[in-house]
Amino acid sequence: MLLRSIASRLSLWVLAGSVAVLAVAGGVLFYRVSGQILEQAHGEATALANEAGNRIEQRLARVADTAQTLAAVVGPRPEDAELMLRDALERNADLSGLAAVFVPAGDNPPTSPFVSRQDDGSLGWRDLRKDASPYWEKNWFLAGLSCTPGCWQRHFYSQSRKRELVNYSVAITRGGHPVGLINADVSLDWLSRILKELAKPAGAYAFVLDDNGTYLVHDNPALIGQRGHDDLLQAAAQHQASRVRLAIAQNPQAKGKPVWIYFSPIEGTRWRFGLVIPEATIYAGPRQAFARVLALGLLALLALAVVTLAVTRRILAPLGTLASRAEEVARGALDFELPAARFPDEVGRLTGAFDRMRTELALHMAELTRNAREQQRLACELDIAHQIQTALLPGEHYLDAHCENFELHALLRPARAVGGDLYSYFMLNERRFCVMVGDVSDKGIPAALFMARTITLAKALAPRARTPQQLLSMLNLELCRNNDSCMFVSLLCGMLDTFTGELVMSSAGHEPPVLCNADDARLIELDTGAALGLDEEASYPARRLRLQPGQTLMLYTDGITEATDTNLQMYGAERMLACLAQAPSRSAADLASGLLADVDRYAEGAGQADDITVLALSWHHALDDRNSPMLDLTINASMDDVFETLDRCDATLHAQGVAPDVRDDIRLVLEELMVNMVEHGRTRDAGNIIGLHMRLGDDAVFVELHHNGHPFDPLQAPLPALTGDIADQEEVGGLGIHLVRAMASELSYSHDEQGNHLQLRFLNPARTEPRHVPDPEH
Amino acid sequence: MSLTLSTESESPERTTVHVHGRLDAQTFGEFDLAILDLLPRVADGGTMVLNLSALEYISSAGLRSIAKIRKSMRARGGHTLLLNPQPQVRKVFDIVKAVPVNEVFASTQELDEYLDHMQRQITDGSIEVE
Repeated sequence: MLLRSIASRLSLWVLAGSVAVLAVAGGVLFYRVSGQILEQAHGEATALANEAGNRIEQRLARVADTAQTLAAVVGPRPEDAELMLRDALERNADLSGLAAVFVPAGDNPPTSPFVSRQDDGSLGWRDLRKDASPYWEKNWFLAGLSCTPGCWQRHFYSQSRKRELVNYSVAITRGGHPVGLINADVSLDWLSRILKELAKPAGAYAFVLDDNGTYLVHDNPALIGQRGHDDLLQAAAQHQASRVRLAIAQNPQAKGKPVWIYFSPIEGTRWRFGLVIPEATIYAGPRQAFARVLALGLLALLALAVVTLAVTRRILAPLGTLASRAEEVARGALDFELPAARFPDEVGRLTGAFDRMRTELALHMAELTRNAREQQRLACELDIAHQIQTALLPGEHYLDAHCENFELHALLRPARAVGGDLYSYFMLNERRFCVMVGDVSDKGIPAALFMARTITLAKALAPRARTPQQLLSMLNLELCRNNDSCMFVSLLCGMLDTFTGELVMSSAGHEPPVLCNADDARLIELDTGAALGLDEEASYPARRLRLQPGQTLMLYTDGITEATDTNLQMYGAERMLACLAQAPSRSAADLASGLLADVDRYAEGAGQADDITVLALSWHHALDDRNSPMLDLTINASMDDVFETLDRCDATLHAQGVAPDVRDDIRLVLEELMVNMVEHGRTRDAGNIIGLHMRLGDDAVFVELHHNGHPFDPLQAPLPALTGDIADQEEVGGLGIHLVRAMASELSYSHDEQGNHLQLRFLNPARTEPRHVPDPEH
Repeated sequence: MSLTLSTESESPERTTVHVHGRLDAQTFGEFDLAILDLLPRVADGGTMVLNLSALEYISSAGLRSIAKIRKSMRARGGHTLLLNPQPQVRKVFDIVKAVPVNEVFASTQELDEYLDHMQRQITDGSIEVE
């Protein structure tokens, strides 16, 4: 938790780094200083050792002096020996006892007095000659006799006085021969006292080695009498003052730590004074000083760390705020306060950048939201567009309800929500059925709009077209208009005579249709014109064929043939033909759905790339006799023929039981039209043929008139001036056409290369219904 | 022959022509010729009555013939009255508004009343004028 803050980490690292530097520097310094410290310690310790040695020397020198003086004095006067011994003993407190011992011979005194200091301070006296064991046989006596100038004997433990003693012996000579000796017992108590009183550093201790290398005196009484360490003895053997370092101290008090030992020879004896200073003690001072400095340094560093922490926290405080703000940003909240940038440093720049980022992000998010809303709206609109486009298409199934002589099934599946494929079908009149399948270039919304335009125009123009080629031409002209986007549509249009099964087809750059028989399927080759919308002058050839019962015509778009599988191989016409040829059922619905299913199987996994449309038109049978035309005449355009025809029509209608008033209406209309054709429609080399087809429907009579003469559209003729009296005008004209328009229930006109074509319908109400007189058009 | 005419002239002022059959583009010429013979026999200011009760059918050609009769009668100060057109013919007249409604009569009686009324008007009018 603590280390999650940069400030704390920074201060911690600063602290750690400084401590490391301090420790290394301190170590190096300590190493350098410790050499000097050791030298200094050596000097001081050696001086101390020498001083102690000197003090011991002086004390011993006094004893030696006393003994030598006594030897010189007692020699001539042995009888006063005891007195002098007592006197000397009282004057020198270091002496524990004095003895004047003589060789037991001839002229030597008979007593050997020994004066010793008792524990209570009084002096005791004893004659050594009376001791049980004769002293003259003992080593100390024999050695002392040979030591004329005086020498120190080996120390010993006095059983009688219960203390460690050492003797100084000086021979008493007479006439150049030793006759006895003065033996001074020196208690070693003072020696240890001297050692103890020595101003030693803490932890140091001292000792005195005798000439055999045995501890004479030691601050640790336990070591007294023991032999010194070999290294120690080796160093002590040098005459001069010397020192030695023992890695492990012999004295258990030093606890096995390394020690320095400083020797000082004690003149007059072969003893050596040793001062032992533990190495730790030598370094203790500087070590302590360093420790103190180190502690101070640490404190300073700690303070530095705290200051670093505070400063860094203060500098980086905006960063923390920015971090929490960034977390807010991650949660989507953008409306917050940012810390004020105090300095234009990195943090200030970061704050500024963060603020800009927040603003940009807010804008961006608003943009995204807007886009998402827009997308949603678009999706919704596309959905509606899809519904509208679906509504533009007629139903999928059409069965001629009138006589069931043909049946149609259509399937359209856009690749996206809306598509550019289209199909449409409708009855042009009682007899002619128009069917079309088209494919707009491109896909998606533009294609869908163009499709809508095409399908609407086609339906609007179809009644004026007699043939598919005409319809395509008109459609082409309309679509070329203002077609700056150069979109185009391929269209296959067919018009079926629902009575006979005769089919006329024209193609504007569309796939050729397939004709399915009972056991095979083949493409129908047909010449095709340019796709609609590209070339205003394009023309469209026609292809005629007569459907036989059981045959099915398949119209489709390239969504079928160009469907690709996962290897980008196209479905192709051959597969389509094979599929259609092998289809078990020959019904329109099964052929269409079977083909679509086969394409789906083929393209499985690759997805639908293009809109797909299939339209199957099955021809069942030709019209039965009941509905065959009553009249199908081709006549010369002459008055006689016209009136003969009118009579035939009348007779036929009469035979069919058509009401007289309807018959009269029909006769009037036909007369006016045909007389008009005879009188005005003829040209120099045409206009001599009139075709008439008449058919009786359920409640109407249908008449078609064809004339190869002058184009004349009765629907466009001007209205005659009707004043209420036909005698008012100079020239009476246009009455006939006016009558035609008023009398016919329905009238449509078209013109093509074969001339004028009129289609008429007259209501022929059933007889039970009240007679209905059609209203005039205006 | 699909058109026949019969004429009865009660007086020079009033000539009635019965039209039988169909008056169409085929028969109007014949009709015109017959009327042309008849017209001079009608006195100026007289009345030509076309009895249409037996006229089965009329087309625009027939309408033009009737228009011609009316024009020439009008030019001579006379009148052309139509008597009892059958519904089919009446319908055609209605569609093209061929004749003023008050000059078409459903029966002879109506026609006679109208003519008597006219006669009086003319007589009174001549006194005033002359």
